[in-house]
Amino acid sequence: MSTFNVMLSAIAIIMLDICVLVLIFSAYRERHTGKKRWSKIGGDMELVEPGKTYPLECDEIIIGRHASADIRLMDMSVSRYHALLTVCNGVWTIKDIGSKSGIYINGSRVKQARLCENDIIKLGKYKLTIRKRRNGNNV
Amino acid sequence: MYKNGLSYVTSCLFVLIAHCAMLALVLFNGNYTETKDVVTLAGVVISLDLVYFIVMLFYKQMTYSIDCMLLLILNMSLIFQSCFGGVELAKKHLITCIAALIACRLGYIICRNHTLIQTKKKYIFIINLIIILCILTLTGSRSIWIDLGFMTIQPSEFLKPAFILSCSTSIIEQQKKTKVLCFNVVKENIVLTGLIILIVGLQWWCRDLGSLPTFIAIYLCGLMFRFCYPKAKFSKKILVIIGVISAILIVLALKFAPSYVQDRLNVDIWNDKSGNGYQQSRALIAIAEGGWFGKGPGNGNLHNIAASDTDIVFSSICEEWGLLFALMMIIVILSMLILPLINPPRSYFHTTVTTGVCGAFIVQMALNIFGSCNMIPFTGVTIPFISQGGSSMVTSGFMIGMVIAGQSPVFKRHKRKRRSKGGAK
Repeated sequence: MSTFNVMLSAIAIIMLDICVLVLIFSAYRERHTGKKRWSKIGGDMELVEPGKTYPLECDEIIIGRHASADIRLMDMSVSRYHALLTVCNGVWTIKDIGSKSGIYINGSRVKQARLCENDIIKLGKYKLTIRKRRNGNNV
Repeated sequence: MYKNGLSYVTSCLFVLIAHCAMLALVLFNGNYTETKDVVTLAGVVISLDLVYFIVMLFYKQMTYSIDCMLLLILNMSLIFQSCFGGVELAKKHLITCIAALIACRLGYIICRNHTLIQTKKKYIFIINLIIILCILTLTGSRSIWIDLGFMTIQPSEFLKPAFILSCSTSIIEQQKKTKVLCFNVVKENIVLTGLIILIVGLQWWCRDLGSLPTFIAIYLCGLMFRFCYPKAKFSKKILVIIGVISAILIVLALKFAPSYVQDRLNVDIWNDKSGNGYQQSRALIAIAEGGWFGKGPGNGNLHNIAASDTDIVFSSICEEWGLLFALMMIIVILSMLILPLINPPRSYFHTTVTTGVCGAFIVQMALNIFGSCNMIPFTGVTIPFISQGGSSMVTSGFMIGMVIAGQSPVFKRHKRKRRSKGGAK
């Protein structure tokens, strides 16, 4: 194989390498853009309890006492996996996933419910409010 | 399309440049009689790139990197396959590449809405059973192919995406426990275990033991997510028990494997170069002859061996394009599977789907490449997107569509209907 052909091969391999790196870099950029877009898809909502704010930036959010829950409420009145928040077309839904004390939305017990702005969700002794995101809020 | 225009155009441009670099190598170093053949190949590759880039714009996705990676690997495979034994456009492979891209879009559309799929889960199990029945009734006696005259179909390939969807689960599903004797069990998990036992029995009966590790990998991925539910909750005791049981089953399976499997397990390829070790010995010689940069596209001799473009495609690429190109091909496929780690799937359901797909692809690649290198017995499993074969390409495309679906939400213009007072349910 001539030197010219080896060089051509090397160039093609390097171009493939660069292409893969560019695509991985693009994926990182998409991740950054994606975070901003998620909040729009999720209707820019967040869950608030006195002194704490939980941004809703995922398709499925588990609320419970267990360490692996996305929103952890540390009290025995809350089940380990208490409720699941899901979003579809910007509408948030809460589902009871086998909790003992149940879920109360604006005072009435539900198994599953669509959430609206300023709804009060009662899980065990905790009262959480779902509301539009305000700038500068952190968990 | 989301406001990611610059990133999208840059990605597309680099994919195009990478393909052009490969085509330049074919032009200057390839084995062809007429320049027309190279021009045709270049025209097809570049057209496919441009058309797919335009089509992708019509899909409102959050990420496009996996699509670009898919196009990169598909056109790489088209160039590889068109060059085996002489440069000429591989028309059959082109059709399967297009079918794979269509299947990818289909997979994306079907799996985008995970709540919808969860409600139709029983139909997915029914589809699995239908495919199993097709294998039992439509294929020949203990065969894995359906012969339609003008083409042959391998139905066990179509079982892979259906089985991945069966293995995928959601948090809600894992909460639906029922009491059987003194155990709280999830019905879906029992049905799934029954299904894998059925598939193992079927594959054994069809003498398609090569695909068996792929199905077991998919099942183990699904099982792992059920044990680690909802996330990072490892039960070491259960994992150790599963490990021990698996090891015992593997030893028993190898001991009682059919005679043709035993032959492959015990073959010394260098002492039996004209018998059972023929393909593997030739494949190893081809890898050695290829060296780092290969003999040049179309200058190889391995195309004369059976299954050179399917089962020992890795060796064919090593011979003609060199080991570095073959390694690049593996890196591209692995990068495609790594991308979900950068942009994680948006739900538990999609996470299980993505893990199943990654498990299946990695096992298939490992079986093919290690088999070609004589590190494990020869299995005859294809490398996703690289090996020739319609059924394999279409299902691989569909499975990548399922991964892409995990990264882009069901997007519609946000409409918030005010719930009537007190209508919480």
